[in-house]
This record gives sequence, structure tokens and C-alpha cells, in this order.
Amino acid sequence: MSGAPEQEVLLEICGLSKNFGGVVAVSDVTMDLRAGIVTTLVGPNGAGKTTLFNLITGHLGRTAGTVRWLGRDIGGMKPYRVARLGIGRTFQDLRLFGGMSVEENILTVMEPGALPFSGPRMAQKRARAAEVMERTGLAGKRHERAADLAYAERKFLSLARIMAAGARLWLLDEPASGLDPNSYEIFLRLLREEVAAGVTVCIIEHNLDIVVGISDRIAFLDRGRLLADGDPKSVLEDAALSAIYFGDRT
Amino acid sequence: MEAYLLNLGVLIAIYAILAITLNFIMGYAGIFSLAHAVFFGIGAYVAAVVSMHVSASIFVTMPAAMLAAAVLSLALALPALRVRGEYFVAASLGLQMFAVTVFSEWKSFTGGLGGLVGIPAVKIFGQEVYRPASFFPIALAVLAAVVAITQILVRSSFGRSLTAIRDSESAAEGFGKNVPLIKTISVVISAALAATAGVLYAGYMSFINVESFTLDNSVLIMAMVIIGGTGTSWGPVVGAALLLLLPGLLSYLSFLPQADIGAIQQIIYGLGMAALMIFRPGGLVRRGSPQRKARPKAAPTRAKRGAVQ
Repeated sequence: MSGAPEQEVLLEICGLSKNFGGVVAVSDVTMDLRAGIVTTLVGPNGAGKTTLFNLITGHLGRTAGTVRWLGRDIGGMKPYRVARLGIGRTFQDLRLFGGMSVEENILTVMEPGALPFSGPRMAQKRARAAEVMERTGLAGKRHERAADLAYAERKFLSLARIMAAGARLWLLDEPASGLDPNSYEIFLRLLREEVAAGVTVCIIEHNLDIVVGISDRIAFLDRGRLLADGDPKSVLEDAALSAIYFGDRT
Repeated sequence: MEAYLLNLGVLIAIYAILAITLNFIMGYAGIFSLAHAVFFGIGAYVAAVVSMHVSASIFVTMPAAMLAAAVLSLALALPALRVRGEYFVAASLGLQMFAVTVFSEWKSFTGGLGGLVGIPAVKIFGQEVYRPASFFPIALAVLAAVVAITQILVRSSFGRSLTAIRDSESAAEGFGKNVPLIKTISVVISAALAATAGVLYAGYMSFINVESFTLDNSVLIMAMVIIGGTGTSWGPVVGAALLLLLPGLLSYLSFLPQADIGAIQQIIYGLGMAALMIFRPGGLVRRGSPQRKARPKAAPTRAKRGAVQ
């Protein structure tokens, strides 16, 4: 169901659970993310989608289950180590480095090392930053403080950071929410280009038109459980699932 | 008069170093430490003891003091930086209290409450530097070196990492930054550079005791940073100069009753701080915003764009 068999499994989640005290946020989720496949996580608010991202990236510790990256167990790893493996993410609330300029936001993700003057050569980083800013429409905003950008620009900066970081797997948390139609088209084109260039994407999205527009596969979460996982058509046409999604529970 | 000004100049340079090094962690990494006077003290005591028993050469006392402060700062950084903001403030407060006790009780090293007396003058290339007129350039040179080092670091990838951590720790981690390690390195650098102020102080005063390294002093240094402008290049220097000049300036106002000058000073500080928080919450020196460098001349106006559509 999830892509052709020859596609390499990048991330393998098995029996993953997370409890917050008595609340079960993610419950026994098993799924995998395959190279080149755009997977969309859908489900009502509080379904556990963002929590699932946090469990993958190590921002949250799991209660049970395993997470494997290219066969290697990464459950319990610190977020910075997960990131260095090639797993990048955006945040629903963006979490830009607000006091830094657009260019600095992009430069700093290319410099993960702790020691002063680590990372690639400055000229190389600047060239890459310029390229990323060009593609995300931020070239004219290079010296603007991230906190001063307009909403859509902030969203694009959030994408620019993940592009510059060179991650192989992108976990995007509602990257298109609130975008105007024009920006949305640019976003979609950018995402398609990156997927064509070999990036694997897992995206949390509420807008079903968007979901259909970009997904190869949909995973449906509700109350922490994975209820369905398959091609967009079959998942979206499932009457029981849409009843849950549109709040029409029985 | 000249001696008075030179003396004030030396003290301003010393406190400017302290304010700059505190600003390095406070303004860029968002680490609020109430223990900065501890590293000032460690620098001063180590320099004093080394110069009394080993050598008074600044090329011996300076590295020894910096090393001691760097190592001891790990004692603060390693446990405390694994937790979040407020806990570090509490931990640094604890360290400050603890250090004051050690400074006043460890008689064989610090001389106890009485302090260390008769610290030899700083030696440079075998020359003893006694007079304020010759000490002032040395203090300025150390200040310049500290400014240069912190500015180079702040503008490097390290500075960007610190700012990224300050703005969003979770995002910084999400992009591969080892946040506890980067914070630890910044605290170590800050402590080692703060110790240079202690070296100057011990050599200049020839007498030190715990009074100069108390919580009051840590708060004063923090006030210099906040008043001058947290996270700015020159704010801490301005803050240090202002807070050290204020008492002197007040004593020139002859209509003030000299007996109550201390209380009046406190009132002026208080009012000044309140006014600053209202009118210039970012401090006296504004944070250099990056966009001023190369802003495009004029973006097309809304009306024009509307007309095209």
C-alpha cells in the first residue's frame, strides 16, 4: 500500500506510544516512510500528529516502541543527533530565530558544530543561502529581521531553513496553513521540485484540497491511533474516517 | 584631578570587561547569571596568590586566572545548563552565595574577611606598573582584547548558534545544534574573560577582599548590561561607564546633603531604572538591526501593485 516495494524505507516506526500522565497522545503507531514518497498525516486536532513528529525528532521521549532510521534505532536519541542524521522539521509555530536576519537564519542551520568557526567555508555558505533565498522568494529580504517579516514570508523562511539544512527527510508541520493562493502555488511548486530532487516529505495538513494535491499516501490519526494508511483516494473516501474528521462521531 | 580621572578610567575599563563578558552569555545566549562577580573574584584571588608566590608577570597571572575561572565555571555550567532558564538563574545565585562563603572563610587562600594585602604590582616584561597613568593603558588594552574576542565570536558561526538558541532552543536543536555543549562553551569563555578583569583589579588595588565579589556586585554588573543595552556591542561599556560615573557626578552637586548621598544615589538609580524600562526597554544603546545595511531603495507601493493587477 505504501509505495512500490523497491522504494527504500527511510524511517520505520514500530509500536510507538506516548503518554502524558494519564493521557495517551500516541498509541501503538506502526508505519514507515519510504524514499521519495509524500506522506500526509491527517486527523482532527489533538490526534497526535505533532506529537508523532516530536517523537521522531527526539523533542519528546517515547513511552514505548521503536523508531529506526535506515535500520538504525534512533529512539531516545537527542534532537540534535537526530537532526544530524538528515531528519529536518518545521514547527507549526515556525520558531524562527526572530532576532536574526533572514540570511543569518539560513546560515546558522548550516553550522551545527559547537566550536567557533565550524562548518563549511563562509563563501560556500553564503552562496547556498543566496540560492535558497532566491528559490523561496526571500532574496529581497536578506537583511530583514525574521521577526519583522510578513506571515507568508515567515512560512517561507521556515522552509528555507529546512532546505539549507540539507535534510533528507522533511517533517513539515502545517506548512501551508494560512497561505494566500499565490503563495500556496509557490509553496507547492517548491515542494514538488524538492521531492523530485530526492527529498522525502511527511506533512501535517488540514486542508483536504492540499492533501489531495500533493500526497502519494495518507496516514489518518485519531486520538493517537493510526486508523488508516494508504493511497489518498481510499482513505479520503472512507465514510467512517470522514465522519471522525468532520467531527460527526457516532 | 588627573589621578582621579585615571583611577575612574581603570575602574570603568575593569567593569566594562565584566559587563561585556556577562552580555556575551546574557545578550546572545539568553543565559542570565547572577554569579558573574564570582569569576571576577576567582580571577582576582588567583592572580593575587600567583603574583605573591610565583610571579607577578601579567603573562603568568593572566593565563592562570583565566584557566581557574574556566575550570570552575564548568562547575556551574555542567549541571545547570541541562535545565531551563529560571533554574540557571537559581543555580547561579546558589554559586554566588557559596563562593562568598568560600572567599570569606578559606583563610589560607583568600585571607578570609580581611582579604589579601600587599599584592605586588602587575609586571609587564619585568617592568612594574604602579602609577594609574601607566596602568590605564594596560587596562584599556585588556578591554580592547576582550571586546575584539567577543565581537569576533559573536559574528562567527558560534555567535549565530548562541542567538539561535536564545531565540528558539527547540528549533536550534532541531537543526543539529548541541545546545548544552554550546551553552557550556559560552559560559566557559565568558568566565575566563571575566577573570581578566579580576587580574587587573588585584594588580591595581594591591588589596582585595570578598566585598568586591558579592551578590551586590553581580547585580551591579547585570544592571550595567541591562541599562547599556543587552545584546548590543557597546551597551555594556556605556552601562559600566554610566553607573561608575554617577556617584562621582552626584558628589559634584554641592546642594545635596553629603551625608545622605548614598541614599540619594539609590533613589536616582531606582528612578533611572524605572524610566529606562518605560522609555528605552532595550537599554541605552540600540541593538544594531541587520536590515540597515542594504535595504532596497523603495518597494513598489500597494497602490502600484494594485494598478497592475
